[in-house]
Amino acid sequence: MEKKSLWAKLTASREASLLVVLAVLLIVISILSPTFLSFTNVRQILLNNTLTMVMALGMLCVMLTAGIDISITSTLAFAGMTIGMLQKYDILHNTFLLFVIGSAIGLVCGFLNGIIIAKGKVAPIICTMGFMYIWRGMAYVISGNAWASGQDVAGFSDFGKDGSIGPYIILLVAYVTFFIVMKWTRFGRRIYAVGANPEAARISGINVDRTITSVYMIMGFLAGLAGVLSVSIYASAQPNMQYAKEMDVIAACVIGGVSMSGGRGSVVGTFLGALIIAIIAKALPLVGIDAIAQNLVKGIIILAVVILNVITQRMMDRQNLLRREL
Amino acid sequence: MAGKSGREISAVPQGGIKKTLLSWEGALLVVFIAINIFGVIISPNYNATNVLREMQKYLAEVFIMFGMGFILVLGDIDISVGSIVCLSATMACLSGNAGLPFPIVVLITLGVGLICGMINGLIATQFTELPTMIVTLGTQIIFRGIAEVSLGSGGSVSMQDVKGLMALGTKIGPFSISFILVIVSAIVFITILNKTSFGRKLYAIGSNKTAARYAGINVEKLRFICYSLIGFLAGVCGLFLLASLYGANTTTGNGFEMEVIAMCVFGGIATTGGKGNLIGGFIAAFVIICLRIALGQRNINTQLILVIIGAMLIVSVVIPAISGAITAKKKRASVN
Repeated sequence: MEKKSLWAKLTASREASLLVVLAVLLIVISILSPTFLSFTNVRQILLNNTLTMVMALGMLCVMLTAGIDISITSTLAFAGMTIGMLQKYDILHNTFLLFVIGSAIGLVCGFLNGIIIAKGKVAPIICTMGFMYIWRGMAYVISGNAWASGQDVAGFSDFGKDGSIGPYIILLVAYVTFFIVMKWTRFGRRIYAVGANPEAARISGINVDRTITSVYMIMGFLAGLAGVLSVSIYASAQPNMQYAKEMDVIAACVIGGVSMSGGRGSVVGTFLGALIIAIIAKALPLVGIDAIAQNLVKGIIILAVVILNVITQRMMDRQNLLRREL
Repeated sequence: MAGKSGREISAVPQGGIKKTLLSWEGALLVVFIAINIFGVIISPNYNATNVLREMQKYLAEVFIMFGMGFILVLGDIDISVGSIVCLSATMACLSGNAGLPFPIVVLITLGVGLICGMINGLIATQFTELPTMIVTLGTQIIFRGIAEVSLGSGGSVSMQDVKGLMALGTKIGPFSISFILVIVSAIVFITILNKTSFGRKLYAIGSNKTAARYAGINVEKLRFICYSLIGFLAGVCGLFLLASLYGANTTTGNGFEMEVIAMCVFGGIATTGGKGNLIGGFIAAFVIICLRIALGQRNINTQLILVIIGAMLIVSVVIPAISGAITAKKKRASVN
């Protein structure tokens, strides 16, 4: 077998090229602002992006099956508001139970998505759009349009406050679990199989409907978990929390190389994608770009990454064709 | 479902009066009438004058719905329209405050929308490998980003000279200008989509892009036109939004894309392309608007309306799925 050149290896693996991008990014930022890579800064970047990073794992699974879920931040708000209200009216203050309840709510929301998409053959974007409205509305309805303030969630917010290691542990556990599940378990490989070719997967004996349903359940579970984390980290619950942030999660996956047509993407890529967006957002003010321009830069980067990807793919295809001619 | 559009090719002739009445548009019309009766029952203020007056703030979105219908029929999607509305409204305010005469401001508003749409179209047609969802996700963030940068740290701007905008908000008889324009564009766009070769080509592309290309349809050119059109209509929406808001901020038009897609889907236009009808989308838009007005008059929590709209959306997509499954089962049984 001929040995691949370093360049070929780098361009062939999305994770490797993302690592290079990340390294270049970090070097440039460190030169411009030497204090950027301090422990506090890194910790804060992770804490501020815990929600996106946790939900990106679910979105990875959903997008692997060629689906999409835009109801996640509404699920997040519904789960978060529920546990916020449980504390506001002094019904429950046990941190562990609150986590269980929040995640369970998310799981149920995800199950509804999954069953309608898998059994009803409804387009994922439409079904999840319906639930996007429903859960967001429910978040307002159960709270009567009110907030749960920092005082209401006082004891609970210790879990996620700056300096607590809780969110980092959840992040670590989630990524390690997903890395193992997606790479080495039968369930993980089934998701890839369903995404790459649903018909072939069905014929080879995979229960496609069940796989799709469970993927949305995972997504819902993580969104519920993110809702609980959000209440804990920001020490308040508002019905409009994380409004329209589902696009950030999708963007993290897209930059991380997850294909929207299914079957392609990895946990490492997703992590790197989320990290790159987070670092850019944090670094902009440090390198002298106004924070107002943050979205503009983010959008340009997303487009640039996907377009570059297409161009390199085209070049590779052309080279392969040329090689065959010889 | 032949009654829905009559577009599906089948060896067995389908149709008939019963089927037409049971079609999606027919059902929507019944729902529309029911909503209005419901409105009259629950609210004493629900009459034609009040409804037409309150309708004005929702009408701007309907313009985008026509463009979205075209895009969805193509099998594409455009989620950047909310940001285009924001950007065009922002540019209108900034140029108006800079002292430009109102006709120029109108041209700038529509022009910004058109250019944004053309940018979307250019990227979508040059890089056909990319799903349009990703392309417009990127431009969604970029367009709103440009608006944010031009709005500066305050994040909002209001029109100082509102004479021109007031003129846009005036009424001709009982109808506002935007209402008349919506009706006129409904007639125009429904005719284009149903009766012209341009419209029928869009269905061909939406059902099978490759086949359409082999049939000699310039797929990318038509897609580009549709993206430019929806951008332009988003500019129109921005203009009429200003006629009731007199200003713009960074959240202007937030979520419009989803509301517009919801109208289309509720109206029976499939996101997979090639299926549906703008008549359905048009009726669905007014069903949602009338529902909002009726519930709003009773001071029902606006957020509860979200739940109702979401539930309607889910039901409207699940019903065809269930009925399809039942017919399939019946067919199988008859074969056996």
